[in-house]
Amino acid sequence: MIAPRRHLAMGLAASLLAALPTAAQLASPRSIPATYAITNARLVPVSSPTIEKGTIVVRNGLIAAIGATVAVPGDARVIDGTGLTVYPGLIDAYGTLGVPNAPAPGGGGGGRGGGGGAVGPSATPARAAANSNYPAGLQPELSVLDLLKADDEAFSGPTSAGITTALSGSGSGIFQGQSAIINLAGSDANAMIVKAAVAQHIGFSPQRGGGYPNSLMGVFAALRQQFLDAQHYRDVKAAYERNPRGMYRPEFDPSLEALLPVLARTQPVVMYATTKREIERALDLAKEFGLRPIIAGGDEAHLVAARLKAENVPVLLTLNFPHRTAVPSADADPDPLRVLRERVEAPKVAGRLAQAGVEFAFYSGGLSTWSDFTGNAQKAVENGLSADAALKALTLQSAEVLGVSDRLGSLEAGKIANLAIIRGDLLDRGRVTQLFIDGRPVAVRAPAAAGNAGPAGITGTWTVTVSLDGSDYPTTWSLRQDGTRLLGSIQGTLGTMEIQNGTVGADNELRFTASITLKEGTEEATFIGTLDGNAVRGRMAIVGHTPGTFAGTRPQRQGPPAGAPPAGGSPRTPPGDR
Amino acid sequence: MRRLSTTSLLEDSMKRTLLLAASLAIAAGSLGAQALPVTGGAGATLIKNATVLTVTKGTLKNTDVLIQNGKIAQVGQNIAAPAGATVIDATGKYLMPGIIDPHTHMMSDAVNEGSLSVTSMVRIQDILNPTAVNIYRALAGGVTSINILHGSANTIGGQNATMKLKFGESVENMMFPGAPPGIKFALGENVTRKNSTQIVIPGQPTTRRYPVSRMGQEEVVRDAFVRARDYRTSLDEYKARVAKGEKNLVPPRRDLELEPLVEVLEGKRLVHAHTYRADETLMLLHLADEFGFKIATLQHGLEGYKIASEIATHGAGLSSFADSWSYKIEAYDAIPYNVAILMRHGVVTTINSDSDERVRRLNIDAAKLVRYGGLTEDEALSTITINGARQLGVADKVGSIEVGKDADLGLWNNHPLSVYAAVDQTFIDGKVYFDRQQDLTMRDQKVKERAELEKAEANQAPVNRRAVQPVLPQEER
Repeated sequence: MIAPRRHLAMGLAASLLAALPTAAQLASPRSIPATYAITNARLVPVSSPTIEKGTIVVRNGLIAAIGATVAVPGDARVIDGTGLTVYPGLIDAYGTLGVPNAPAPGGGGGGRGGGGGAVGPSATPARAAANSNYPAGLQPELSVLDLLKADDEAFSGPTSAGITTALSGSGSGIFQGQSAIINLAGSDANAMIVKAAVAQHIGFSPQRGGGYPNSLMGVFAALRQQFLDAQHYRDVKAAYERNPRGMYRPEFDPSLEALLPVLARTQPVVMYATTKREIERALDLAKEFGLRPIIAGGDEAHLVAARLKAENVPVLLTLNFPHRTAVPSADADPDPLRVLRERVEAPKVAGRLAQAGVEFAFYSGGLSTWSDFTGNAQKAVENGLSADAALKALTLQSAEVLGVSDRLGSLEAGKIANLAIIRGDLLDRGRVTQLFIDGRPVAVRAPAAAGNAGPAGITGTWTVTVSLDGSDYPTTWSLRQDGTRLLGSIQGTLGTMEIQNGTVGADNELRFTASITLKEGTEEATFIGTLDGNAVRGRMAIVGHTPGTFAGTRPQRQGPPAGAPPAGGSPRTPPGDR
Repeated sequence: MRRLSTTSLLEDSMKRTLLLAASLAIAAGSLGAQALPVTGGAGATLIKNATVLTVTKGTLKNTDVLIQNGKIAQVGQNIAAPAGATVIDATGKYLMPGIIDPHTHMMSDAVNEGSLSVTSMVRIQDILNPTAVNIYRALAGGVTSINILHGSANTIGGQNATMKLKFGESVENMMFPGAPPGIKFALGENVTRKNSTQIVIPGQPTTRRYPVSRMGQEEVVRDAFVRARDYRTSLDEYKARVAKGEKNLVPPRRDLELEPLVEVLEGKRLVHAHTYRADETLMLLHLADEFGFKIATLQHGLEGYKIASEIATHGAGLSSFADSWSYKIEAYDAIPYNVAILMRHGVVTTINSDSDERVRRLNIDAAKLVRYGGLTEDEALSTITINGARQLGVADKVGSIEVGKDADLGLWNNHPLSVYAAVDQTFIDGKVYFDRQQDLTMRDQKVKERAELEKAEANQAPVNRRAVQPVLPQEER
């Protein structure tokens, strides 16, 4: 079933490559022709109606011309696009692509066999900026530009899905710093950058390592105080600028300085919020300080659609839809109704947002299989989103939300020549045969096993025994990973509760809090542990109690093994098998 | 024989109650964020022929209560139903004020900001979950208002939130209108972390956080209020300069840590102080006297009976457990007569749950006070109703059945101080937020919904196409 597809893919790639430079030629920029013409192709500009048969000319990294009757320039290398469709390169609208060792979605495959016994207090420190008055994690001056690394290997996954461009942030901390839009190709990091300082990113996960703020409450207080301080800083600075004589200069503060464009609304703020209440909290904070918010995550955005529309707030929507990952274990409690509902509702959210007139763009959110990027967009179409709207949420609308639609997101003369060439329909299991990024051909390869190839990180149903004060409590954990966030609930003898403030680090370290009910009362417990394949273990702390431990397994898990390609087979997962 | 049959009847009744409670918990567990359909919303509701436990004005038999516009409009006999009113025949039933729980952590997505010794800047209202299923369970126990407190990890904790349990509505709609703001203080073992010396606490500093003794706790409070006084002075100076007409002044930096403490100094914010031992309680009362503010409530206060007069003199209320003791060192001297003794000394006393589970049966905790200390039924009921309202500064709105007050009520099928009592309906502002009959109907719906959802593709386990063996962790191979 897979083999014929592979042959076809290889055949096509070979025929295209025959017209294209070889890998050796690719290595030398000088040898790359600057002008290409793809002829006889179906062209989907997104910004205008589809051209059933036409030509697109790429010159010096830009789209030079597109149309049904475009003349092929004499210096162009001609590619016969018969049977192929050219789309704008897809945009992954939120994530950490290009940032090495970012808290990797899907667990990253590292750390296996590392014992996993010891649990440190701060395994993943937030990234730090130099000369800051604020601790790491509260440094809005941090820029992803200082973290980016050109790494074609790391981009093989997303490019295999037709993604040419991404919004990348540091991915850690509360104030996560400024993100950039990058193209997923380039010999050095700076060449990848399409636009810097696109947005400030805020995550509401508490600080790791125990410093203030180590709770969600503290996160809000810290954010509020820092925005107030930035307002004060702005006012004092303005007073000094009006009349410096006789006034001691206000001390320069890089953190507060970085918040000034945010307060002035010239820079939007991407806030990660999934549930209705998280989204409302984020919107409330934005309103309090007059910010320009963009919501990322958005699982329950449809429940806040009216407000999002009224306040003109776009949503970056995850395509990492939840789904059952294993046969339910006889030992486990049945999944809560809420979890069953979430899995069914997730693909419907995009359609509901479209209907409500809320602007949104898709992002990958730590998909275990990159082909699910378009595959799940198609699921959204099956669940009420129009195919046009789905395509826009992967291209032009993403560019609009991120403020780069003047240069990206559609096939128009003058825009950056990021193209995805597909055999078939993008949203109907079409296959990416070739990409152009900045006008240069990029061969599509099977994604490397590392990075996003891990099955689903911690997603799944776990049977966990919690040991506390000499007693064992059997529990069932329904967990879901979205990028670095850990979501889910716990059931069993400690009560039924949603987990809060959950994160999964690059080193497979997990942390969350939950309100458990013991006989003395309901207490907030902090869980910290490590994920090791299908086992999880760690410790828990409760104020006023001797700390406890927990250990559990993910029973009857099925699918390819974690963190390694299946032996002897294609590294590509068959369609539909996740 | 007669005695035997009575016993078996009682047992039957008890079994039924237990079964009902168990299935209720299951149904509520799958309820999610769905609100009950509201009945008697905008219109009036007439509850007829109930035994009305007003708490403040005695027990009224065969009495009607008319609810209009969310308020108790009339209490009396033979009240005529206004046109369109919902009429409830409450013959044989008991109507009591909605229960108030003065100490809970329900609905909270976080409980402690334990990183610092003073975290007055954090607010419970920022992190509330209006869909928490425990709200529904509390409603099923006749609870209508709660005080959600910050945890007890540090000397000066965060700002609390007083809420009405309007399940299914937004946090904003659930905030108790006009309730004065408050803040949590904590003394004793939880702050010094006596249980936590040997280990690394995840999310907490690895070195022990100051203070590690009760002496240190006193110093933390004193230092915080000295700083708050200085901050207030700087604000006053700025205001004076503005008043004098000085131009181009930049207002002082706002300090979210000290602002609430200034409000405490000015009597605008209630202090709810977690304390167990009499000596530390006295320390805090004296410190508050020194700075000229009041402690609104002592939380737990299990040794309160030792210093009942001092507490009464200061004017603090006290919120305790009915009969929990010796679950930790500082709770060894607790006695079940604590509440009764304090009440006889004129202290406004309440029973609280501090538990998402016990909150469902605060009526039973109140009943224990009749046994331990000989409180009257009204006095016992007052510890879970009007006294809570007094402690939270909302006694003009809730806590008793009086004309003009909010229609926050529980309709019980038996006397609420009986172990056989269960709630049939719970009203808040005249709307039904829990209805036992509707709950029964919903259970069937949930079973059907689950069956439907299980059929969906996303709820199918992945097909094991290539018979890949599940990867077991190293240790289990």
